[in-house]
Amino acid sequence: MGERAFAVALKIPDNEAYTAMRALQRLGIAVAHVRRADVLVFNGDEGDETVRERIERDETLFNPNKHRLEQLASTHPREGEVWIEMLDAPRSAPMRRLVSWRLFGGADEPLGGDELDAACIRLLCNPAIERAIR
Amino acid sequence: MTARVAVLVFPGTNSEEETRDLLLDCGADARIVHWSEAASLAYYDAFVLPGGFAYEDRIRAGAIAAHDAMLDVVIEAAQAGKLVMGICNGAQILLEAGLVPGSGEIRRPTAAFTHNAQGHFICERVLLRRTVAAERCAIAAALPEDALIPAWAAHGQGRLAASTAHLEDIERGGHVVFRYADARGATDAHLAPQGSALGAAALTNREGNVLAIMPHPERDAWNFNHLDRREGADVLAPSGGSVLFGSFVTALERW
Repeated sequence: MGERAFAVALKIPDNEAYTAMRALQRLGIAVAHVRRADVLVFNGDEGDETVRERIERDETLFNPNKHRLEQLASTHPREGEVWIEMLDAPRSAPMRRLVSWRLFGGADEPLGGDELDAACIRLLCNPAIERAIR
Repeated sequence: MTARVAVLVFPGTNSEEETRDLLLDCGADARIVHWSEAASLAYYDAFVLPGGFAYEDRIRAGAIAAHDAMLDVVIEAAQAGKLVMGICNGAQILLEAGLVPGSGEIRRPTAAFTHNAQGHFICERVLLRRTVAAERCAIAAALPEDALIPAWAAHGQGRLAASTAHLEDIERGGHVVFRYADARGATDAHLAPQGSALGAAALTNREGNVLAIMPHPERDAWNFNHLDRREGADVLAPSGGSVLFGSFVTALERW
């Protein structure tokens, strides 16, 4: 089946995303809305539904009372999105866990490349321990 | 005049009272300053960032606090030569702010105290030994030579990590002020309970006026913290890890 990516996002208010938005605004980055999610990238032969059920059963990954689970169309970030991965995370593990940050402007448009770069360099990614995937 | 020390409190800081109390016991005029009072910080001679979980460790430990208005003042003060000490989460903030080891631009971190190698929180008593010359770090300069400083490693993210090149810079530049030690004072990387690179427990900047220390000396600082190892009859008397705070206050008097 190859690589599949799932996003686990809060369906309750995400205080961490709000804090990130305020911090980015303080840095002069024109962001109006931030969405955050855990991205789980699976590599294996199991079917999509099997993987989905595994996530939903794992209480360390998913709580149905506060999370929504979505299978992503791609294993790469979308426009206006960056994935942050720990540098010491094993790349060949059956499941990789990353953090997705999606940044939007005032008209709810995905933020452009330069501003996304600035957000990564100035706040979202510490290159000593993390890498940013665009 | 007694040195004025601000003990900074961010939302989520939780070690400010024992930090303030130990500074007072060591002779400093220490006061707790909350994040909403950043404008008052110009009044102070030195700054201590205590432990906790500033801004709930959102994004990364220390990342949001490193961009707080209070850090604007602390960074400016550190660059002017004032003494700054960060303990545990305070140390993480100083690394995120780029003040320590200080090999990059401000707020462009080149190292981090990150997730422990064992992948979970640890809480254990440790011994620290200064492994640089006394004059390398003003805050630790007044410690007795070869003193073993007791402290508590109480963190989920206390492992120094950086690129190989930056770790070499940290080692070569004498930035590792304290390393984890055994009871005989021997230091070795394997003594770091969380796998910290270089066996590092504390780093300083190039100028030696900023100290980022992961374990908590203030949690092993009075006789009542260790009644089984009582060093005096008075349970309220400072002891153990208080020597580091004593050295900090001595440095302030010299400053």
